[in-house]
Amino acid sequence: MNSTHKDDKSEGMAGKILPAEDGITSAIITFLKKSLEEKQLEAVMIPSKIPDTEAWTWLLLQDESLLASCNPLPPVMTVQGGKALSNVTKHGDLHEKVAAVMRPCEVQAAVELLKLKQIDLDNIYLISVDCPGAMPLQDYMADPEKTAKAFEEAFSTWGENESVRPICQICHQFSLPLPQQSAPSDNSPPKNEAKFPAADLHIGLIGGDGTNVFLIPATAKGQDLLDKLDLSAEDSMVNWESKVEEIRERKFNKRKAADAEWKAKTEGVDNLAAVFDDCINCHNCKSACPVCYCQQCYFDSQLLQFSPESYLGRAEKRGSLRFPLDTLLFHVGRMSHMALSCVSCGACEDACPMSIPVGQVFTMMGNKTQDYFAYTPGLDRNEPLPLQIFKEDEFGEVETPREGAEAPAEETEKNV
Amino acid sequence: MSKAVKIQQSTEDGLRSFFESLLQNKTVKGIFTLRKTNDEGGISYALITDVEDLKNAVPLYPQMPTNAGKILSDFTLLEPIQEPVAAVLRPCELRAFTELVKRNHGNLDNVLLISLTCGGVLSLKSLRGGNGTKDLSSYWESVGKADLAPDIRETCNTCVQFIPQNADMVIATVGQKDMDKECTIFATTPKGEEYAQAAPGSTVSEEMENEKTQALMDKRSEQKATSLETFKNNQSGLKALIKTFAPCLGCHGCRQVCPICLCHLCDFDSKTLEYQPVNVRSELNQKGGLKVPPGNIFFHLGRMSHMAVSCVSCGMCSDVCPVNIPVATLFSTVGDALEKVFEYVPGRSLDEPVPEGTYKEQEFVEIGEQ
Amino acid sequence: MNGQIGVYVCECGPNIKDRIDIDKVLEDISSLENVKVAKRFPLLCSNDGKKFLEEEIVKEELTHLVVAACSPREHEQTFMTVCKQAGLNPYLFQLINIREQCAWMIPDKEQATAKAIQYIRAGIQRVAFHRPLEPKEIDSIPDVCVIGGGISGLETSLSLAGKDRRVYLVEKTDSLGGMAGKLSKLLPYQGSELSSVEAKIKQAQDNANIEIFTSSEVSDVRGFLGNFDITISSHGESSEARKIQAGAVVVATGFGLYDPGNDSQYGLGQIDNVITALEFEEMLGKDKLLLKSGKPPKSVALIHCIGRKELGYCSKVCCLYSIKFAHRLKDMSSDMDVTELYMDLCLPHKSDQAYFDEAKEKGIRFIRSGEDVFVKNKGTQIEVEYDRDGQKDSITVDMVVLAPAMVPSEGTTSLAEMLNIPLDKTGFFKEIHEILDPISTPIEGVYIAGCAVGPRNIPESIVQSQAASGKILSSLIPGKKIKPEVKVSEIREDFCTGCQTCLSICFYGAISYDPIKDVSVVNEVICRGCGSCVGSCPSGAIRSKHFTYPQLYREVLEALR
Repeated sequence: MNSTHKDDKSEGMAGKILPAEDGITSAIITFLKKSLEEKQLEAVMIPSKIPDTEAWTWLLLQDESLLASCNPLPPVMTVQGGKALSNVTKHGDLHEKVAAVMRPCEVQAAVELLKLKQIDLDNIYLISVDCPGAMPLQDYMADPEKTAKAFEEAFSTWGENESVRPICQICHQFSLPLPQQSAPSDNSPPKNEAKFPAADLHIGLIGGDGTNVFLIPATAKGQDLLDKLDLSAEDSMVNWESKVEEIRERKFNKRKAADAEWKAKTEGVDNLAAVFDDCINCHNCKSACPVCYCQQCYFDSQLLQFSPESYLGRAEKRGSLRFPLDTLLFHVGRMSHMALSCVSCGACEDACPMSIPVGQVFTMMGNKTQDYFAYTPGLDRNEPLPLQIFKEDEFGEVETPREGAEAPAEETEKNV
Repeated sequence: MSKAVKIQQSTEDGLRSFFESLLQNKTVKGIFTLRKTNDEGGISYALITDVEDLKNAVPLYPQMPTNAGKILSDFTLLEPIQEPVAAVLRPCELRAFTELVKRNHGNLDNVLLISLTCGGVLSLKSLRGGNGTKDLSSYWESVGKADLAPDIRETCNTCVQFIPQNADMVIATVGQKDMDKECTIFATTPKGEEYAQAAPGSTVSEEMENEKTQALMDKRSEQKATSLETFKNNQSGLKALIKTFAPCLGCHGCRQVCPICLCHLCDFDSKTLEYQPVNVRSELNQKGGLKVPPGNIFFHLGRMSHMAVSCVSCGMCSDVCPVNIPVATLFSTVGDALEKVFEYVPGRSLDEPVPEGTYKEQEFVEIGEQ
Repeated sequence: MNGQIGVYVCECGPNIKDRIDIDKVLEDISSLENVKVAKRFPLLCSNDGKKFLEEEIVKEELTHLVVAACSPREHEQTFMTVCKQAGLNPYLFQLINIREQCAWMIPDKEQATAKAIQYIRAGIQRVAFHRPLEPKEIDSIPDVCVIGGGISGLETSLSLAGKDRRVYLVEKTDSLGGMAGKLSKLLPYQGSELSSVEAKIKQAQDNANIEIFTSSEVSDVRGFLGNFDITISSHGESSEARKIQAGAVVVATGFGLYDPGNDSQYGLGQIDNVITALEFEEMLGKDKLLLKSGKPPKSVALIHCIGRKELGYCSKVCCLYSIKFAHRLKDMSSDMDVTELYMDLCLPHKSDQAYFDEAKEKGIRFIRSGEDVFVKNKGTQIEVEYDRDGQKDSITVDMVVLAPAMVPSEGTTSLAEMLNIPLDKTGFFKEIHEILDPISTPIEGVYIAGCAVGPRNIPESIVQSQAASGKILSSLIPGKKIKPEVKVSEIREDFCTGCQTCLSICFYGAISYDPIKDVSVVNEVICRGCGSCVGSCPSGAIRSKHFTYPQLYREVLEALR
C-alpha cells in the first residue's frame, strides 16, 4: 500500500492532439489500443457494455479486442470508478501499468481513497475525460435507448444540458482542474480551486469541434506516457482552456445557487426530515458512495442496538416512534463521517430506490464543511484529510461564538 | 369454522377502533403498524403508544417500506419485550419473523401477532413521493373481488401463502366486498380470542378460507406456474444469470433489506472475499479481462445458498434494486425448489427446525447417489 | 448469562451503615435474577473483611464480584487482590461507590438508599459483561540511551553508570561538554573552576559503563519502555550505523542561541565590535578580550533580553552571566566603563541579589532601557540609543555584548517526531507538567532534562539530570518485568480497513500498521487506554477493553431506569 507521495506536477502543458475522424470514442479507444500494443500500458480499466444487454460495467482488460465494446463516457455512471479501482487495488499494487479512464469525479474519489489508504495508485495512470455529466440511472434502466440519445445531446449543449443528473448540472469539476498559475494577490488560499491536478493525463473534448481530441498531460508521469507515443503535437490548448473556464464559471455560479437552495430546503429538523421522508433505510446510498469505506458501517453495527424497553420508552415519550429507527441520525451521521471527502459524484442518488435527492443534499453539506476547513477533496494528493491533522486554532466559527450570533432555534420533537 | 369479530365500521376504521380500545384499556402498551408521517409524504412502520396518534395509522396500506419481520427481530434482538405490544404484519413478514425467531434473532414473548389475508403490496417505485394521496380504489376493488391486484410486486402476484398461519388474529381483506362497511377480524389462537374481547364488535363464526380466497389461490397458483416456466426457459444457466445480473452495481441492497439475511457482517462484505492483487492478476491473465468489481454472480449465488431455503418471497430485494434486477423472482423460484427438496416451508411452524441446522443420515439423496 | 454474582455491601464503620438502609439494599439486590448472594459486612477492607470475601468467592463459586463500599481510588486494588487470591480474575469485579457518592453527600436516608440501590443495580448489569483480562509482563532492558553530551547528558550518564547501568551517550558535535564546556568560568558560587565540566568529561570517558558516540546522531527510534531499538548514525565518510537496545531514553540536547538577524536593531554582523555573549565567553577564555583594532576596550555595554519580546519568554540565565561578565571586566581594569541595559532583571537564586549589589558597588551601571535599544556606528565607537521613561538617551562605548535568548537546539523538531514527543509553543520539548512533572514526556521511558526543556541554569540542569536518572533507576530495574496498562484498546481485525485514521489520532504512537494484514495494530504496552482511537474510528472497529459498548450501555440503561 503506497502512502501519499510527492506530487510531480508538470510546469507547462505540452499536449498532443488526437485526430477523431471516426468520432471521439473511436479516437480514445485507438489511443488506448496503441498504448497496449506498444506496451506503454499493460492493462486498461474502462467502462464496457455487457454483450447482449444494455448494461454497463467496468472492465479491467489486457486483451485489446475487448476494447471494442468499451466507451470512456457511457450515458450512466453505474459503479463509481474510484470505488471500482479501489476494489482491485485495495490490497496492493497490481505490478502492471494500468490506465484507468474515468470521469473527473471518479478520479477525485480515487485520490480521496488514496488518502484513506483504500487504493494503490502506484503503476496506475489516472486518465480523466471532459465530462458532460451522466444521465439518471433509473431513467436509463427504464428506457436505455431514449436516455442514451438524450445523453448524446449533452455533448453539444455542454454545461447547459438539463437532462443530465441535477448533480451534474452544478458540477464545476467536469474538466481537468488547472494547476494554480500564480498566487492570489491577497495571499489567501483559494477555496474550491485546484492546487494540483489529480489525474495524470486528461482527455479534452471541449473546443475540439468533434474532429479532434486533446491529450493533456497533468503530471510528469502523464507527460512521460504521452511522450512515448508517436502523436502529433498541438501547440496551443488555448481554445480548450478558455472554453473550459467559461463553462466552469457558469457552473460554479449554478452550484452556489443550488447550495443556497438546498440550505433553505433542509434548514431545521422538520425540513430535513421532510426531504428524507420516503427513506426506507436501505443504506444503498452508503454502499454506492466511493468514500464510505468502512468494512462495517457504524450505522449497521451492534453499537446501535438497544433494548426493547428503550424503544418502548422512546415511543411513549413521543406518542409514536418510526421504524426503522433513527433515519436522520444515519444521514447526518454519515454526513459527519464523509462530507469532507464528498466529491459530488451522485452515485448515492442513482442508487436510492425512493428517488431522494441525497447527492444534492450531501453536495451542499460537503461544500459548506469543505469551506470551513479550506479543503478540496480529491485534488491535491498531499493535502491531508482534515480529520487526521490537529491544529490548535481551527473552526473558529464553531469554537468561539460570533458576536451577535442568534440563539439556537427551539427544538421540535420530530418523529424520525 | 373460526371465531371472528365483526365491527360495523370500514375495515380500516374498525381496526383503528380496536387499537384504540386496546390502548385505552391498557391491554397493550403500543401498536406496531404502518403510519403516515404527514399528509403528503411517506408511509413507514411505527410503534404507536398514544391514542391520539392512531388517526395517523394506516394498517392496511399496500406498501412494505421494510419487512416488518426484520424490524420486530431488531426490536426484540437483545431481549424479549417486557410489556404487551400488538404488531400488524403481512403473512410473509410474519413468516420472516418466525424464521428469525428460530435462529435466535427475535423473541415472540408479549407480542400479539395480528396479520391479514393479503392482496399484495404495490412496488416502492410506484409509491415514491406523494404516497399519502395516491388513489388506491382500483387496488382495493381487486382485493375485494379476490382478483389479482394491479401493480403489485411480482412476488405478490405469485404468492400462495397469503393466508397467514401463525398469527393470533387475522384481518380479512381478500374477497371481502364490504370493506367500506365492515371490519372482520378472526381470532385464530386462544390469545387472539382473549384480546378480541376488547374489540367493539360482535362475535361470529366464519370460515377464514372460503371460495373467494380459493379463487385468488387458484389465480395466484396459475401465475406461479407461468413464472416458473418463464424462469426455466429464460433464466437458467450461467449465460442467463450473467444477463440477469449484468447491470448489478454490487450495492448489496438486496441483502440489506432481506429479512432472512441476519449476519452482522456479511461474508460477502468481509475481508475474506476481497480480491488480492494476485487474484486480480491471475484472472486478468487467464481471461484477458476482468469485470470490476469482481465476484458479482458469486455474491448472488452465495447469498442464495445461505438463505434461499428460508426465502419468504416478500419481494423487498427487487424493490430496493436500483437497476431493476428481478432478484425476488429469481430467489423465490429457487427458494421454492429448495424448500420442496427439504420438505420445508419457512415460517410454517416454530417447531420446524431450519434445514441447515439439522442432520439426517439419509438426505438429499438425489445429489448423493451416482 | 450464566453468571453467579456476589454482592457485598460494606458498612464502612458508621459511614455507610448510618446513612443508608443496608437491609433494604440487600432485600432489593437479592431479588435480582443473576445475583447469587447479597450480604453485608462491617469493614471489608480490614483483614477480616478481605478474608471473608476470599472465602465467600470460593464457597459460593462466584463468577463475578460486586462490592458496594467506598471510592475505587481507595480500595479497587485491595479487592482486586482479594479476587486474585481467591482464584477469580480481578477484572470480573466492580466496586460501586456508595460512600462518597451516596452516603456522604445525601442527607436524606431514603434518598441515599434509593440512589445506592440504583448504582448497585447498574454496576451488576455492567459486571455481567466484564471479560477476564490478563495483565501482561514483558522483559525490560535496563540500559539507557542519552542524547546530548553537554552538562545534562554527562550528569545523567554518570548518575546511571554509577549504578552500574550501561549508557549509550550520543553527541552530535565532535566533543563533549556542550554549551557549559564553552564557558571560561562559571559563576563564582557555582564552583569557580571550569575544570568541573572538564572533570565530568574525563569521568565519563573513563567510565567503562558509558559508551560515547561523538559526531553521531540518533537516526531511528522504535519500540517502547523497556524495549527501545535505537539506530545511531555517525557523520563523515564512513557513516556507519550502529543499532543498540535500551530501556529508556533521556533527551539532553541543550539549546542554541537566538540570532537577531543581520539587519536587526542590534547591529550584529554589521557593526564592528558588536558580539554575542558566547563570542565574549570565548575571548575571555583565551584571555584575548580585544577590539577589532587590536586594542582592549575601555567601555562596554551589555544588552540583555535580546529576543525576549520576539520569543515571548525570559531565558533566565542572561542577567546573571551578564553581571558575571561585568565583574570580569571590572576585574580586568577598574577603570573599565561597564553599562548593563535590560528590560527586567532576573535574580532568583539565593546569592544573586548580593552579586548584583556587589556589581553596583563596583560602579557598574544598570539601566532599565526597555525594548527600544538601537546600536549604531559612531566613528570608531558604538552608540547605543535607548528609551528611558519616554526620554531618549544614549551612551557611547567601544564594545557591545549581546545576551541572546536561549532557543531550542537544531534538530529538536525532527528528534521530537522520531521519539513521538511533543514540543510546546516555544519550540522546546514539552514536559508533562511544568510544575508537577517537569522531566517526563507522554511517552513512557522517554525523559527530557536540562535546557532541552527550556532555559535554565546549570544547577537546575544537574538536578533534572539526576531526577531523570532517579526515575529510570527506580522504574527500570534489571530483571524486572514491566506490567503495562491492561485496559487498553483492541482492534477487531475483521472490521479494520487499514485506513490508519486511528494511527494519526494516537498521541502515544501506540498504533502501527501491519502491511501484510492491512490492519492497524495496537501495541498494548504503549497504549494508555485513553480511548481517542475508539472515538476516531468511523466504523467502530476499535474498542476499549473494559469499556466496551455492552458494558457501558447496560450500566447506563439500568441507572436511568
